Amino acid sequence: MSDESDRPTQSDVTSAELLGAVKGFLMESVLPAVAGRDQFNTRVAANVLGIIEREQALSPALQALDREAAQRWLPEQASTEELPQQLARALAKRDIPVDPDFMAYLKARQLVLIAINNPRYASRAVAEARWG
Amino acid sequence: MTPETLAQHLDDNLTALLSGSLAGRKVSELSRLSGGANNETWRLNWGDTPLILRRRPFSADSVANLEGNILGLSLVDEAEVIRLATATEVPVPAIHAVFDADHPIGEAFLMGFIPGESIPQRWLTDDAFETARANLAYQCGEALAGIHAIDRRKLPDKIGPTTLDNRFAAAQKRLHAFGDISPAMQFGLNWLIDNAPDNTPCVLLHGDFRTGNLLVNEKGLAGVLDWELTHQGPAEEDLGYLCANVWRFGHLDKPVGGFGHYDDLIAGYAAIAGWAPELRTIRYWEIFAALSWGLVCQTMGALWHSGNGDVERAAVARRRSEAELDILLLIDEWEDT
Repeated sequence: MSDESDRPTQSDVTSAELLGAVKGFLMESVLPAVAGRDQFNTRVAANVLGIIEREQALSPALQALDREAAQRWLPEQASTEELPQQLARALAKRDIPVDPDFMAYLKARQLVLIAINNPRYASRAVAEARWG
Repeated sequence: MTPETLAQHLDDNLTALLSGSLAGRKVSELSRLSGGANNETWRLNWGDTPLILRRRPFSADSVANLEGNILGLSLVDEAEVIRLATATEVPVPAIHAVFDADHPIGEAFLMGFIPGESIPQRWLTDDAFETARANLAYQCGEALAGIHAIDRRKLPDKIGPTTLDNRFAAAQKRLHAFGDISPAMQFGLNWLIDNAPDNTPCVLLHGDFRTGNLLVNEKGLAGVLDWELTHQGPAEEDLGYLCANVWRFGHLDKPVGGFGHYDDLIAGYAAIAGWAPELRTIRYWEIFAALSWGLVCQTMGALWHSGNGDVERAAVARRRSEAELDILLLIDEWEDT
């Protein structure tokens, strides 16, 4: 007990906790008070907060994958800014050899993106089993 | 437009328009149905007759820079195609009135209300629809064959024949217009170009024939809705679209729309059309459908940025990840077989 009493009382609130608080407000206070389209959009809004929460947690992994890819397939490139655009444009010009290594990168990248944007999407489990 | 204003405009116009067909003097119980990220759908009563109003809430000019057919036909043309389908065995509602973009109501049409369930989460799992689900893949095959047999010479001018090369060029143009943000979608388009089927004669396609746009009753298919993506293309495109992962609503083990199996769909189609589509060609179009879904998600994001739409439309832009995942997964599976 004495250990706990020495511990400072938590006074800051992280962005993840703020998101959780807003989500709770939407689902517990707003949802029962609205109807029709607003009810539907309240659920959508709560879901959007989940996307933001997961993106905060997972974007470092995405950036690491993209940095590695930039070094390998876009050696001229100084930064990873707009890397997806540069890869897409190089693919459109058929400038990147679509070999197993490149496919492995696209798949790994996509597993992160689906984990952010819709982790419950049914194809994700199939893809995880094949590539994970 | 507020529901009150819309109801007033309808009251002002429907008495004259419907005097020969439907009794009534006043609109009642006007309410917007949820869902539908592109056009609004309203339910209303005219006298004792339940009706459905489809209405485009923004002017076509505001999104003119987006081009292409993903935004869909004008509602005037959509109503015309539904009228053509009425003459076939395909279950569609009667069209009662059509309003062009200059009308105070806005671009819209009024049609009959067909009883049935459209919400996939209900009819895909509820026991009451068990018989319906067992019949539905075959019935969808029959309905698609019926749509594909509609005389193309009667179509509105906007729905012209096209080639796969034109489709690929249009998709490339859109990917570019949307900023080339997706390597996975570009990879998918490249693959679709490299693996395109050879012989692709055009028929009239529904273009959005899928779970979510079907009305289902306890016996099966009661109505085919949402004709705004109607276009011409190869028959297998509609079948593959119905089987796309994104429209299985989580039931990946039931390839036809999350409720049925390929054999039944193909058998129903062959019974009306007299020929059986190849499964591998259908699967090619499932991949094309994944790319199309990705482009729809991008279109929704672009529409939202142009000031049209609510939080749902903004959120749909993120569902592009589903399309990208399916492109990679389906191509991976294809190359195993």
